[in-house]
Amino acid sequence: MIPREIPARLLRIAIVMIALFTLLALLVMVHTTPIIFTLFMFIGQPLLLLALLLLIGAVLADLKAKELI
Amino acid sequence: MSTLARAAALVAVLAPVAAWAAEDTVPLPRGWIGTTSEWVRGFGIAFALLNLALLAFAWRSLRSGGVTPTARGWLFVAVGLVPLMVAFLSFAHGLEGSTTVAACGSCHVMTPWVQDLQNVKSDTLAATHFKNHYIRESQCYTCHSDYGLAGTIKAKFEGLGHVWRYTVGAYELPIKINQPYPNVRCLGCHAGSQKFINASGHPKEEMHALLDGSVSCIACHGPAHPEQKRAAGR
Repeated sequence: MIPREIPARLLRIAIVMIALFTLLALLVMVHTTPIIFTLFMFIGQPLLLLALLLLIGAVLADLKAKELI
Repeated sequence: MSTLARAAALVAVLAPVAAWAAEDTVPLPRGWIGTTSEWVRGFGIAFALLNLALLAFAWRSLRSGGVTPTARGWLFVAVGLVPLMVAFLSFAHGLEGSTTVAACGSCHVMTPWVQDLQNVKSDTLAATHFKNHYIRESQCYTCHSDYGLAGTIKAKFEGLGHVWRYTVGAYELPIKINQPYPNVRCLGCHAGSQKFINASGHPKEEMHALLDGSVSCIACHGPAHPEQKRAAGR
């Protein structure tokens, strides 16, 4: 049995990651410099990918905890 | 204040205004709604701000009731859907935006090059192309990247190297081009034009020398940048 707090905690981490990603993306669009764009490519986009994986993982864990899958 | 000083002050004030007005005299085409790049940027900023608001809602919904169907819905939109749109738009804008002269000039080591480029009194090759609008935009990138998709990819990887070396300080001053400037970049635009074909300095029998790089375009038409100019003058 997976404790109920784990998916919620994972999702909160995912939200923080997406917030960081969005801020970097906003920075790229407001003031594009090669350094900011590189940061967005190598930090922002992996954050997005990780957050998506966390979202999928948390939803699956939640469904499993509710014995729906 | 003497009349001469007053006149000088008036010219100093009016010259930039006149220059601005002169640039603004060309009316935009009828029905102008902006460029694709401007729209991408506008939508990108709007989606990013929307996403930050959605994230706040998702956070609140998660805090109040745990992983409920409502929270899942907010999360699906705020973490899964809108960020993908933001990623696409910011990537497209960043790719385009990093080719501008302003982007190249954002590293302070490039300041003398950019200043010379934009100096209307300079007679370097770069400044000549800039002030006469031979290249309309992204002037640094246009001359320093090869043609086609492979050229873009190569330029982006080289740019990554530049960012790394600039960040860790692994460069020597004065900045120099890392390989001889390839003639094909000049010929990509100039070869085939009537001015090029009819110029006495470009006889047909000498074309192979330009194509194989044994004669450089810069050798006759340079200096391309001020540092070369200074070196040539020594």
